[in-house]
Amino acid sequence: MKYQSQKIAWWFFATCMLLFTLQLVYGFIMAFAHAGMDGLHAYIPFHVARATHTNLLVMWLLAGFMGAAYYIIPEECERELMWPWLAKLQLGALVATGVTAIIGFHFNWWEGRKFLEIPRPLDFLVVIDVLAFIANIGMTIWKGRRMTTTSMVLFFGLLMAALLYLPGMIPTDNQTVDSYWRWWVVHLWVEGVWELIMGGILAFLLIKLTGVDRELIEKWLYVIVGFTFLSGILGTGHHYYYIGTPRYWLWVGGLFSALEPVAFLGMAIYAIAMAKRGGRHHSNRTALAWSIGCSVMSFVGAGFLGFAHTLPQVNMYTHGTLVTAMHGHMAFWGAYAMLVMAIIAYSLPLLTGRDLQNSAAATFAFWTSNIGMIAMTLAFAVAGITQVVLERRMGLEFLAVQSEIEVHFWGLILAATLFTVGILAYLWVFIRSGLPVGPVDADDSAPATVA
Amino acid sequence: MLSKSQARAFFFVGTGLCALAFVGLTVDTFGKIPAQTGQAQLTEQVIRGKDLWDHNNCMGCHTLLGEGAYYAPELTKVIDRRGPVFVAAMLRDPQAMYPGQRKMQQYNFNEAEIGDLVAFLSWIGKVDTNGFPAKPPLAQGNVGPAANRPVVFQQLCTACHSLGGVGGNVGPALDGVGKKFDAAYIGKWLEDPAAVKPGTKMPKLPLTADQIHELTTFLGSQGK
Ligand code: HEC
Ligand code: HEC
Ligand code: HEM
Ligand code: HEM
Ligand SMILES: [Fe+2]
Repeated sequence: MKYQSQKIAWWFFATCMLLFTLQLVYGFIMAFAHAGMDGLHAYIPFHVARATHTNLLVMWLLAGFMGAAYYIIPEECERELMWPWLAKLQLGALVATGVTAIIGFHFNWWEGRKFLEIPRPLDFLVVIDVLAFIANIGMTIWKGRRMTTTSMVLFFGLLMAALLYLPGMIPTDNQTVDSYWRWWVVHLWVEGVWELIMGGILAFLLIKLTGVDRELIEKWLYVIVGFTFLSGILGTGHHYYYIGTPRYWLWVGGLFSALEPVAFLGMAIYAIAMAKRGGRHHSNRTALAWSIGCSVMSFVGAGFLGFAHTLPQVNMYTHGTLVTAMHGHMAFWGAYAMLVMAIIAYSLPLLTGRDLQNSAAATFAFWTSNIGMIAMTLAFAVAGITQVVLERRMGLEFLAVQSEIEVHFWGLILAATLFTVGILAYLWVFIRSGLPVGPVDADDSAPATVA
Repeated sequence: MLSKSQARAFFFVGTGLCALAFVGLTVDTFGKIPAQTGQAQLTEQVIRGKDLWDHNNCMGCHTLLGEGAYYAPELTKVIDRRGPVFVAAMLRDPQAMYPGQRKMQQYNFNEAEIGDLVAFLSWIGKVDTNGFPAKPPLAQGNVGPAANRPVVFQQLCTACHSLGGVGGNVGPALDGVGKKFDAAYIGKWLEDPAAVKPGTKMPKLPLTADQIHELTTFLGSQGK
């Protein structure tokens, strides 16, 4: 870290840690409800827990992306952030908006649209907040000493993410139209522009951690994000099979979304290849583990498990079952949660001057959380497949099937406990590293070897 | 070998073409949605129902058009499956309709609001969803006896009772019930279960005299 203003990133990362922890609490509430223990129903009914769980997830990931941008952009552009005060203000406003939304959910104040539950007046605040963020990093890049591909990919990913929030706000009376626009946000985020953000952050981390030549890394970055959009844009069609839209989406969506795993596979091969090629042994092995882990787990969760239910013949029976929850967990974890964990693990020693990344706790956090998440995915998978067979294929009553699969939610709770232990270890390392100090002197600026 | 500028060109051309195709398909889709969803039947009442659906976040437990949460039944075809009478009773008092089961939120809707929600669910049930949800291909009930059961039995009673191995498990299975009780008893039971057996979990259902007659005839013959 070379610039004073990069310090702001720490506050965003601390926000991530807080919201993430809270997200897990609500996850447990839902898992217990599924297992037949809904003692909290009178205070936090399932729909409240769910909206809180998923909105906290999106909120902490966005805070993580913003923190990552505030860390990466000054370094890539070789100048201080344009308006550090605006970054602080913008973080405060984001947290205030988020907390208001979460409290509102508990009082039946929301829009019943999955993932976009935030009530309309708060939507506008989110948009203004994100625009302030975009302006801040945009001006920094503009006034910077160099304009790298990595910073541009990251910037456009964030800009497009902000713009794509808008279709979700188009008012309509028709449920089909409502759902059509909702996917422009949800799908085009996670299977489109967020992948640009992922590509940008991973490229930065790989340049720093492996020492492979920037030109080579950035060239392949273009190829991978090229594949992302080639498949991901028309791949939106895999959500338009059965919602009252024309039949041609069955083959458009089926064909293009079936190609989406290629981009994720590309990302995994790219990260592993660069790590092998790099002659440099960066001391932060944990950050490298999270970076490569991110690319591999996103291929498994998004690519492989996404493909498993994306063909229309399969989706007819799995649509809207726990199979989707299985995929949703591993995909969000691999692609985006691990990405934020990677950038935090990388930047923390450089922000605080205390390097605990090679401690036993840091290694433990990586393995325990990942093994826990794999076990959670298996529990969801068994519950989901059983539900599909009994309810969708054999026609048993919904509730009868749910009591049949209750036991798998006890499995989920066990797995989630393991996962949570891993996350607590990560949090412990974060807290022990202390508060951010000024620029930390570390040999971390330029690649030592050229491939 | 591929150069960086070629890689960049691949990115921009590919993305541009796909985005263009996507916008084109979207325009075409919006031309077709009104006919496919029955936009003309979107009455004031249906729209009020959709607003209630949104503002109460029913999607936080249920799926509709296969989207939402996985805690409660898929509702796109609920009016076909259960009929408007059952759905209205459910919205009036969810706990009474599924005693001792997983809990639905008690909203205390008034009758007008219940009418709006039922209208909304009836409208969505007629949207052409390209065949979703599919008929269960391995179901036993698709062939044989299910065909000649009274409609009211299929809609109201199978939510809680099974017959021939198909149906809910809130109440006891009704196989052979005609051997257990005579038609007169079943008739009295259906008029008001609590009057026959105080504290029972079976709710008093909104049945007409004709329906009770139809049901007693049907159930009285089970197991004979
Ligand atoms: C807290 C979760 C929850 C919320 C919120 C919720 N429901 Fe339910 N609903 C359930 C559950 C669980 C069932 C299954 C029956 C039972 O156990 O009560 C159900 C059953 C139903 C049924 C009967 C379905 C069938 O197949 O028999 C209808 C209709 C229904 N809900 C409508 C609604 C509407 C309309 C809303 C919004 C105003 C809503 N529900 C909100 C949990 C919920
Ligand atoms: C909300 C759930 C529910 C619905 C809907 C329901 N029942 Fe029941 N039913 C029950 C329960 C619970 C019992 C057991 C009552 C008891 O023993 O206290 C029961 C018991 C019965 C019995 C006595 C069975 C026995 O073996 O003792 C008959 C007959 C019966 N129901 C018929 C019907 C018919 C016909 C309908 C449709 C009009 C119907 N039920 C709808 C819940 C329901
Ligand atoms: C990192 C990337 C991804 C993330 C975070 C992700 C996450 C999710 C989530 C949360 C849902 C549920 C959405 C909702 O119902 O509102 C979903 C649905 C779906 N995803 Fe993904 N996904 C990713 C990539 C993919 C890929 C690459 C594919 C296909 C190859 C795919 C296929 C699907 C399908 C078919 C559904 C619909 C499931 C249904 O019908 O219920 N996903 N995804
Ligand atoms: C303590 C650990 C966790 C538990 C017990 C848990 C449990 C659950 C449960 C029960 C649901 C609701 C499924 C339903 O509608 O019935 C859910 C939804 C969801 N959770 Fe978690 N969760 C946990 C952690 C996480 C993490 C770490 C992530 C992201 C990385 C995540 C992302 C999601 C998403 C995206 C959904 C919506 C899925 C969909 O709509 O298909 N959860 N979770
Ligand atoms: Fe998608």
